Amino acid sequence: MLAVKLGMNPNSSSLGVDVTFLLFGAAAVSLLTPVVAALLRFRRPPTDER
Amino acid sequence: MSGNRGPRRARAEAFGAIFQLERPRALVFVDRTMARRRGVSAEMAKDLWRDPDADGDLGKTPLSAPLEAHLQLTNHCAVGCKGCYTGASPTPAAGEWGLEQWKRAVDELAAMGVFHLALGGGESATLPWLGDIARHARARGLIPNLTTSGLYGLDALLPIAGLFGQINVSMDGLGQTYAAVRGVDGFSDADAALIKLRKKKREIGINVVVTRKNFADLDALFAYARQRRLNEVELLRFKPSGRGAAAHRTLAPTDAQNRALWPVIAAAVKKHRMRARADCSLTPMIAHHEPDPEMLARLAVYGCTGGDFLVGVKASGQVAACSFAAPPRKRPSAHDLADYWQQDGAFGAFRQWKSTPEPCRSCRYFSLCRGGCKAVSAHLAGDPRAPDPECPRVIDFARAKGDRRSTLLPIVR
Repeated sequence: MLAVKLGMNPNSSSLGVDVTFLLFGAAAVSLLTPVVAALLRFRRPPTDER
Repeated sequence: MSGNRGPRRARAEAFGAIFQLERPRALVFVDRTMARRRGVSAEMAKDLWRDPDADGDLGKTPLSAPLEAHLQLTNHCAVGCKGCYTGASPTPAAGEWGLEQWKRAVDELAAMGVFHLALGGGESATLPWLGDIARHARARGLIPNLTTSGLYGLDALLPIAGLFGQINVSMDGLGQTYAAVRGVDGFSDADAALIKLRKKKREIGINVVVTRKNFADLDALFAYARQRRLNEVELLRFKPSGRGAAAHRTLAPTDAQNRALWPVIAAAVKKHRMRARADCSLTPMIAHHEPDPEMLARLAVYGCTGGDFLVGVKASGQVAACSFAAPPRKRPSAHDLADYWQQDGAFGAFRQWKSTPEPCRSCRYFSLCRGGCKAVSAHLAGDPRAPDPECPRVIDFARAKGDRRSTLLPIVR
């Protein structure tokens, strides 16, 4: 996994990125990765999309 | 195309693929191996996977399409904020698109593989067809999100609030600070709008443009968001465009405030347990505090990604790298975005960030920050290719060289 961009940006003037995890350091980010990987594993495959 | 089967779930990219998760709401960037394991085939990737060296290399080339498109549905807004970056006016601008033209644009964006829309203005909540365009986006697999002042169009917005993934209300200060920043006393109405919207859905937040006049109130704004049970505070940098060009001298944060911004955000997030989002143009101010670049990359914290991760569309349908940028010389329409996106030289300086000179080139955050905000560089330095003149590193570099211009910038105290 290369990156995770959390949330949705409602602001039409810039790319808003969730920086909350930055505050809790590398350990929090490294915890996030396997959680997201597990969630990806259990989702329906995107067979109809490029 | 996603048809009517919910949000787009994945898209192939040269580095691998991007997957969309709905819970938690996230875009996940993976290399080709993981993309294959999760169902993206080489056939779906077509020629995107031709270059073996591009596997896993996020940022090597622009994305095959934006992640999100920022649609300025109208330039009409009656509020008249003194720092408005679009210079919105009480009457719509000449040549503004209507519903059918915006629907065609959404079709084009959906065909390209765009995930999200950020709808803004002007004040889009006053458009009688806002719900129609939001429903059309949903039907095409895009998630529409919205920013509103909360001062107009609320009664029409409340019944359709559920169509949007996230709605944020512009809230640049509490009480009198709101008026000091915006030049309009709208706090009570914006506050009332937030309360009503929050009763309709959970994904309601505030956008806060960080200025010299509300910097001291940032902690209070986080406390307010917590009190109102909002889900996020999105912090935005003041941009010297539209009416903001004239207001920049009095409203833009000082250099000292820019340097202090990240610790202030960090303290407020921890104290009030609120999620914070940061505008891409605040990346230089975050990098100033030397976070681990690998961690920034993992969280997709980038500086200028105009004409790459995002694209702006003006009220007249013209495409620009971001909402602050002028349209490219060819003046492409959103109806022809897929064609323009692939052209050599598309988006000019925005895609040529690797040529940004020192002190960016030797900065260890360069591949992420990409020279900072080109809209700010264009307005303050007269050249979008110039290093971001409000970046602390750029200011220090100029001072070390004895460049008096850096001390003449209005932000420096």
